[in-house]
Amino acid sequence: MTAQIELTNVNKYYGAYHALKDIELSIRKGSFTALVGPSGCGKSTLLRSLAGLENISSGTLKIAGEVMNAVPPRKRDVAMVFQSYALYPHMTVEENLTYSLRIKGVAKAERKKAANEVAAVTGLTHLLGRYPRELSGGQRQRVAMSRAIIRHPKAFLFDEPLSNLDAALRVHMRKEIRALHDRLGATSVYVTHDQVEAMTMADHVVIMRDGVIEQQGSPLELYDRPANKFVAGFIGSPAMNFLPAIGGQDGRSIILDLGLKQTIALGRTVQPGQALSIGLRPEHIELAAPGEGILSAPVALVESTGATCFLTMATTPELSVVFNGRSVARAGDRAGLNFVPGSMHLFDAETERRLPG
Amino acid sequence: MSNVSRDRLLLAVAIILAGIYLFPLYWMYITTIKSGSEMFATPPTFWPTDPQWQIFGNVWQSRNMGRYIWNSLAIACGAVCVITVLGVGCAYVLARYRNIWVDIGLFLILMLQVLPASLMVTPIFVGFSQIGLLNYPRLAVILAIAAKSMPFFVVLVRATFMSVPQELEEAALVDGNSRVGAFFNIVLPLARNGILVSAILIFMQAFGEFVYSKSMIQAVELQPASVGLNSFMGPNTNEWNNIMAYAAIYVTPILAIFVLLQRRIVSGLTSGALK
Repeated sequence: MTAQIELTNVNKYYGAYHALKDIELSIRKGSFTALVGPSGCGKSTLLRSLAGLENISSGTLKIAGEVMNAVPPRKRDVAMVFQSYALYPHMTVEENLTYSLRIKGVAKAERKKAANEVAAVTGLTHLLGRYPRELSGGQRQRVAMSRAIIRHPKAFLFDEPLSNLDAALRVHMRKEIRALHDRLGATSVYVTHDQVEAMTMADHVVIMRDGVIEQQGSPLELYDRPANKFVAGFIGSPAMNFLPAIGGQDGRSIILDLGLKQTIALGRTVQPGQALSIGLRPEHIELAAPGEGILSAPVALVESTGATCFLTMATTPELSVVFNGRSVARAGDRAGLNFVPGSMHLFDAETERRLPG
Repeated sequence: MSNVSRDRLLLAVAIILAGIYLFPLYWMYITTIKSGSEMFATPPTFWPTDPQWQIFGNVWQSRNMGRYIWNSLAIACGAVCVITVLGVGCAYVLARYRNIWVDIGLFLILMLQVLPASLMVTPIFVGFSQIGLLNYPRLAVILAIAAKSMPFFVVLVRATFMSVPQELEEAALVDGNSRVGAFFNIVLPLARNGILVSAILIFMQAFGEFVYSKSMIQAVELQPASVGLNSFMGPNTNEWNNIMAYAAIYVTPILAIFVLLQRRIVSGLTSGALK
């Protein structure tokens, strides 16, 4: 597989502020890559650098094999969908769609044909004569997408395109964007702060924090083997539980500290006395009868959505548990807990890195 | 006090204030069409018994007003052209870049606006005379007005440009346009209203400009209507009806423009402030 976008050792400074730090990223042709992270992590800066709206300070940026470090946006042949959609308010939908073609000098008849074709794909045919202000949020979103599609660019760049839509429409557009991507065989880079969007839409997820790529890989790789505590806590909802623990003297167990100390046998080795942080996803903890299971704790809170049940245990730190179905335990009851075998993530308490093995 | 009676009270105050403001205007029009004796009658009449409509034609003829108004128009249009072409570029840069130099520039621009024309006229006069600009007195006045009114224009138009989201420009860049192309294709059409309104305001200012014209234009045939009106008035003037007729002919077109466009002008002025 060839790389459509390649970043090698890319750095970006705003004055003294180091916004992107040694970014190494290779985006396969035809893949859907999500850049995700908390706000201010540099994901938008990275995307804007790909578009050419920001210039990188050092390193190499290649698009389709060509170095693009100082190439202006218009010569990069990438299309961008903006968070605010950035539709030209003084142009009709059709003029918005064909603006890039007009600049290229495509003949009017051909532009019209192209607009009609794209509008048929995105369901905008009946809206071509309208102005952006006369459209709903979802329709504007579609116009913004169509404006990108019509160009057959080397890559699509999305900058949080769904954050202005309501929850139901967001879920719908998520599927639509992914379906369009597959149909066009396009290369897409998608910035979002919503890990669910990243997990559900992307083939390749890049998690960033403070201008650094913390980890990248397929969504399930990130879920199953987070490289550090930050990634572990960022991916998955509700968030992973982190429990303080110490490596047992025999090197094959850990001592959990949940208010009262509890020794748990491990199927692997740890350094005796090492300070650890144990990551346990809420969905990997199972309820057992009181007195059974690995440990037992009082229930602090039971929240049920009908299909799913969220339990918070009265331990320090609090443990959250998620399972499908209804809870027999009520707030105040004691309940036994079991951990799904092999679901425990071990992190060094100091470096916050995942322990090998 | 209830809401209704408070509203009525405020309305009454507003009407009285408007009346006070507009009374000179009313008096100008009314004096124009009064006869010589009625003009000085005590008590004054608030509506002329014998309106003298022919006075407009007479004054236009006798004072050669066509030429004066033409000069005013030429100066106002020239100033508007210079200010618009230069000011739009300046305002755009000040709207899009944010750093210490831009702040200093803005401060200087606002400073310029504070200086009154009567203070500026002497150095301008000396400077213009040294470089020989006073041989083209109308051009000299156009440049002087441009220097005086540019800050006002730049500040207004900058606000308009700031209300055009930068993302639109970025979208145009990614869509394949150059920086200049994006400005003319996207930003300028969206800022058109604000620029037009500001240009109209500048035009109205320049059309009535007096200080620079009076100081720099000696030749009578090049003087604008404001200077013409001034030379109409001497120490022993008593033909107030003729002077008022002159003034009425002079200001009515500007008033008409303002009344016709006032909605757009007000919305244009606030468009930058309220997003």
